Amino acid sequence: MGSHLWENYFKPTTKEKEINAILKENILFQDLTQKQLKFVANIVHLRKYRKDEAIFRQGEVGVGMYIIVQGAVDINVEENQAQEGHHRQYVVMTKLGPGDFFGELSLVEEGGRRSATASATDNTTLIGFFKPDLLEILERNPAAGVKITLRLGEVLGRRLRETNDRVSVLEDEIKKFRSEGDS
Amino acid sequence: MKTRGILYRERYIKLLSVITILFICILIILRIQNILISFIFASVIYYLLGPIVNAIERTGISRKLGVISLFLFIAVVLSLGLYLLFPVITNQISAFKNELPKFIDGVTKLASATEQKLNAFSYNLYHIDSSRSVAAVLSTFARRAFEDLPDLISSSMAVLVLAPFFAFFMLLDGQAVTKKILALVPNNYFEFALNLQHQMNVQLGDFIRARLLEAGIVGAVVWLGLTIIVFPYAVLLGVFAALTNLIPYIGPIIGAVPALLIALVNGLSGLELLILVAIYVIAQLIDNFLIIPLVVAKIVNLHPVTVVIVIIIGAQLAGILGMIISIPVACIIKLTAFEIYNHLVEFHA
Repeated sequence: MGSHLWENYFKPTTKEKEINAILKENILFQDLTQKQLKFVANIVHLRKYRKDEAIFRQGEVGVGMYIIVQGAVDINVEENQAQEGHHRQYVVMTKLGPGDFFGELSLVEEGGRRSATASATDNTTLIGFFKPDLLEILERNPAAGVKITLRLGEVLGRRLRETNDRVSVLEDEIKKFRSEGDS
Repeated sequence: MKTRGILYRERYIKLLSVITILFICILIILRIQNILISFIFASVIYYLLGPIVNAIERTGISRKLGVISLFLFIAVVLSLGLYLLFPVITNQISAFKNELPKFIDGVTKLASATEQKLNAFSYNLYHIDSSRSVAAVLSTFARRAFEDLPDLISSSMAVLVLAPFFAFFMLLDGQAVTKKILALVPNNYFEFALNLQHQMNVQLGDFIRARLLEAGIVGAVVWLGLTIIVFPYAVLLGVFAALTNLIPYIGPIIGAVPALLIALVNGLSGLELLILVAIYVIAQLIDNFLIIPLVVAKIVNLHPVTVVIVIIIGAQLAGILGMIISIPVACIIKLTAFEIYNHLVEFHA
């Protein structure tokens, strides 16, 4: 297994064009023109993670989101029942692959903490897009910034609706269990 | 286990690389002559022009072209300003130089009169005799100030060239360089480092712009007031008041001293003296009741006692420069400590 240490600087594997193509496929950046994409590509951060390396941990202050370029990521939530003296138990909430993105809530939250742990399940390359980057885009290229922010609002709205639907389903199931218990 | 070992080794090497790079940069800035002062001035220019460059970029002009045209524009405006103001400033300096013996004589007489009154008041129990030494100190200081002026200007040339040069590249490539340094940060500290760098940048930028706005307004009010009452050396005294206003707490007092001495030596009447004092007080009232609460207080969230302690430490370590930069340095230390605590202690607790 080759070292990741200096790869970024002397032998880049993911070129600017590839970043542009990946960004263009992402819902947040799909409305951007080629020039705006190039501008954003110069601002975002390319990060490499080893297999089993944590990308962020539950409870940490979140600063932004990640888009998977290659590799795979698990989103885990720590179980509340973890007892003292025992290892922390994690429940895998979802498995993500190339093109997927996660952590976007941190782009709008002020000092918000991560609600789950993300870890690479393979050698993984990610594009990191953080709040300071979004602010810089809004400051230097507001047209691109507004397009991204509107799409971000749409994504967060969709996530909220999905959560509401799941809460409704769970409430129905609880009611059903209660009525079955009463009878 | 093997992968984990490689991961930890990589993290340590990366962390060590970032710390070494930052340490070398700080060492160069602190150790090499003129670099620290040039870097401070370059940072001031960078934070002052940053929003303007961004505004130019928003119009669709490339950053490179924006920075170059802005620097050219400033060079033209400064040359024009110098061309127009140079005769006024040189006239005021040469007039001041010619009148200096009169001022020294006046201050000595003033000191002598005060000395006599004090001696009379204390029934000569403690005989005070300082007017002669005051005269000697003043004349030596005045002679050296004018003798050293050409040397001071020539030694400042390096800073005058280096500061805009650094600022130019900070505006042009600053973000790219920061991104490259951040790329070296290990993954587990990356978000923390990015957030810290962003907050430092915002806080420093806001602080520098606010302090310059304060200094500019104080200088303008003093200059305007002195011009209205037809007081000599209005431009010089306005510039001096603006510059000394950058020193917290004692700066405004130092800024008013030359005007008060000139007034006393020239034998200004009570009312005229009162108007002169009122000009400086109004400038400080505008600063303390409008600009500081509205702009500076929101940026510098330090307790007044902390501010005083920090200024004393700054003065002990680096004199007047230390006093000026002590507050932003303290803000950065506070921010870093808070973020480290938040990241390492609070999260793990």
